[in-house]
Amino acid sequence: MKTKRTFILLMCLSLLMLGLVDRIMAQTDSTTAPVPNSPQGGAEKMLLAGEVSTLWQNNKVVGAPSTNTFAASPLGLMLMPLVKLNDRLFLDVQVAVTANPAPGGGAVASLNEAIIYYRLTPAAYVFAGSFQPRSGIYEGILDDFTNRYCTSPVGMGIGVQTESGIGIQGGFQAGYSKVLYQLYIANGPQLSVDSTGAHNGQLNYGNYIDNNKNKAVGGEIGVLPFSNSSLELGISGQYTPKTGDAGSLFENTSSTSIATYLNYYHVFNPVMVRIQGQYEYTQTQNFKLYSNSSDTATLFPSFDNKISGWFGGATVRLSGSRRTLLSNLELGGRVGQLILPENALWGAKPLNQTTVCLTYWFTWKTPLNLAYDMYTQSGSPTQTQITVRGMWFF
Amino acid sequence: MKSKIKIKTTVAILAIGIASAAIINGCKVPEEIANKSGAQLWGENCNRCHNVVDPKTFGDDQWDAATEHMRQKALLTDREVSKIRDFLKTANK
Repeated sequence: MKTKRTFILLMCLSLLMLGLVDRIMAQTDSTTAPVPNSPQGGAEKMLLAGEVSTLWQNNKVVGAPSTNTFAASPLGLMLMPLVKLNDRLFLDVQVAVTANPAPGGGAVASLNEAIIYYRLTPAAYVFAGSFQPRSGIYEGILDDFTNRYCTSPVGMGIGVQTESGIGIQGGFQAGYSKVLYQLYIANGPQLSVDSTGAHNGQLNYGNYIDNNKNKAVGGEIGVLPFSNSSLELGISGQYTPKTGDAGSLFENTSSTSIATYLNYYHVFNPVMVRIQGQYEYTQTQNFKLYSNSSDTATLFPSFDNKISGWFGGATVRLSGSRRTLLSNLELGGRVGQLILPENALWGAKPLNQTTVCLTYWFTWKTPLNLAYDMYTQSGSPTQTQITVRGMWFF
Repeated sequence: MKSKIKIKTTVAILAIGIASAAIINGCKVPEEIANKSGAQLWGENCNRCHNVVDPKTFGDDQWDAATEHMRQKALLTDREVSKIRDFLKTANK
C-alpha cells in the first residue's frame, strides 16, 4: 500500500517536472515545434449551403369554404454547413429554421442532420451522428428543391426517419454497373404508449437517448445497372428487435421496415424525362401483446400494426429547346397512396393522392412550383389543394 | 428423390458459378468507363436527382466541400468524385 502510494506520487512529480522542463525549453528554443496532427495550411474547406423557401396553399374540402394559408410558416430556412476537415474527415450538418415574421411569430430551430464521415478506403466511409438513413430515394434526397411535384407524397415519411448511430457506406464500380450500399446501427424507433391510446403503436424516430438496450440495424443496397447512371434501383430495410421502454410490458415489440425505389432520367432530345417511384412498408410486430395487457385490454382494440405507402411520378422538360422560357419549364404528374391500420385509434381508410405540378426553374437550384393536389378517401369528402412554392438553394 | 437432389445441387453450383463469374468480372472497370471525362461524369451523375450544376456556382474550396457532400448523398465512386471535382474546379474560372 505504501509502495503503491509512493509510486503514484513519484509518477505525478515526474510528469510535473517534464511539463516544466518543456515550458522552459519552449521559451528558450527559437525554432517552432510542429503541432501534432496539424494539417497543412489550407486543408480545411468549408461551404455554407442552404435553402430558403416560402409556400402558400389554398385548401378546399367539398361542402366547406376554402382556406388560404402560408402553410405552417410563411418562410422556411435550412442551413447546411459542410466542412472538409482534411482528406479523410468531413462534417455535414443541416439545421432547419422555421420563422414567422408576422406579429407575435417566433422561430423554431431543429437539427435535421449532424454527421461526421471518416474515409476508411475509397469505397468505404464510416460515419456517426444524427442522420437520415437511406430508406428509399425520397427522404433526404428528393424532398427539398429536388421535389419536382412541390408537395410531399402522402405515402412517404411513414418509415425510417432520422436516427442517431454509426454506420458505413460507399459506392463502387462493378463492371458497367455501379453498386451503392449503406449499413448502420442506430438507437431505433421508440414505441408510443399513452393512457389515451391516441398514438398507441406508432413509432417515434430521432431519439438521442435510447429507451432500451437493443439497437436497430439497417441498410440499403442500390444498383445503377446502366453505364450512364441513368437508372437507379434500390432496396432498404431496418429491423428493431425491441421498441418499447426497457422493463415495460411492451419492450419486446419489434418493428421491421422496408423500402424499394426507382429513379430514372433520360434525355430523348429535346425532351428530358424523369420517372421516380418508391414503396415503403413498416410492420410493428407482437402487437397483440399490447392490447392484452391488464392496463389496456378493455380500452384499446387489437389491430394489425402495418403501415404502407407509395408514390409514382414522371416529369417532362423541354431541356433541349432554344427558347429559354420553354427549356426552363417542367411538367410533372404523380399518384400515391397511404395505408394506415384501420382499426387503430390513429388509423384511417386508405388515402389517395393525385398531383399535377408545373415548375419554372430560374436556375438549376431555384424553382417556382405551382401544384394541384387532389386527395380522396372512402367515406370522406374530396379535398383539393393548390400550392405555390418558391425555393432558393444557395 | 436422388435425381431431385442432383438437379438442385447442379442448379446451386451453376448459380454460384455464374454469380462468382459476374463478381470477378465486375471487379475490372471497363476501359470506356475508366476513360470517361469529368465533364461526362458531371453530366451523367449530377442530373440524377437535381438539375445539372453550373460549375461557376462555387469557388475551388467550396467545390471541395460540395463534392464531398455529394459523394455521401449520391454514394458516388471515388473516381467519379475526383474527376467531377477536377472538372468543376477547371470550369469555374
